[in-house]
Amino acid sequence: MTITLRVILIIGSLIAFFLCVKRIKQAKLKVSNSVMWMVGCLILILMSIFSNVVEWISVKLGFIAPVNFVFLTMIGFLLIQMFIYNIRISELNEKIKDLNHYIALKENEERNK
Amino acid sequence: MKVLLIIPAYNEEQNIEKTVNDVIQNTDYDYVVVNDCSKDKTKEVCEKNNFNMLSLPINFGLTSGIQLGMKYAYKNNYDIAIQFDGDGQHQAKYVKNLVEEMEKTKSDIVIGSRFVTKKKPHSLRMLGSKLLTMAIFLTTGKKIKDPTSGMRAYNRKAIELFVRNASLTPEPDTLVYMLKKKMAIKEVQVEMKDREFGESYLKPLKSIEYMINMFFSIIFIRAITRKNI
Repeated sequence: MTITLRVILIIGSLIAFFLCVKRIKQAKLKVSNSVMWMVGCLILILMSIFSNVVEWISVKLGFIAPVNFVFLTMIGFLLIQMFIYNIRISELNEKIKDLNHYIALKENEERNK
Repeated sequence: MKVLLIIPAYNEEQNIEKTVNDVIQNTDYDYVVVNDCSKDKTKEVCEKNNFNMLSLPINFGLTSGIQLGMKYAYKNNYDIAIQFDGDGQHQAKYVKNLVEEMEKTKSDIVIGSRFVTKKKPHSLRMLGSKLLTMAIFLTTGKKIKDPTSGMRAYNRKAIELFVRNASLTPEPDTLVYMLKKKMAIKEVQVEMKDREFGESYLKPLKSIEYMINMFFSIIFIRAITRKNI
């Protein structure tokens, strides 16, 4: 990995990390929701600092360039995040649906009184 | 036996009055209209006629509407719940046959089928129906002649499954699920009319999406259902 890329990655993840913390302080983000993002930032920072480890792993795994390994890790991370959000949206959907049903049943009960 | 007809309705202001009156005049069973937040005057029409109605404040689709009907049936201790379309395609005089068949054969689900004694006509729609029949036969070994029929009677056991499992749709893939649960499904010959007014839930372009969904659900999800879970 080139020095420039490492510097950009470190700066980028640091900004993201502190944005996360700031949002939590402003109570706009729940702690449990932001932990995953902070973990992602930390992984990126660690990968930029210990780039020789990344290089060693990528050679062992047969990557053409170490940076490809970094990208793959990030894509994997994002896919997991997306799946988690997909599940969360489904759960919310279920809850809204149950609420919807509850209102309809209540309304019917009131009308038949 | 307490029997409930669940009549899902979405934008059916022109059909709903006739459908419910047909049910009231030609059967002795209870009914409930599930108004899925229609954009037209379906709700007002039902209120004016004093129909028994469950009115949803948010539109959520047919699956949710049927589940709500099942919850209502479960709560009010009905023995049989019958899905009955609000668009005027179904005729109430056939409902009795479904109930009688269910009492006679002690089956769990009875489908009002168009093709028990009659042959399927050749059309694109019926090709879809044939493919579904085939998929159900391959996964369960049972021939359902009219898997897409919207007129179905469910007994208490099936009602409970619908209340507990929100992923059960009122569609063919649920039949596979029920068959895998070792429930008995019977078919009774009925006739259906073509719809007179309004739009169906299944628009032409949506039918391809529908078929893909059904096949994925039948083959990858419902086919590996085990009896006791």
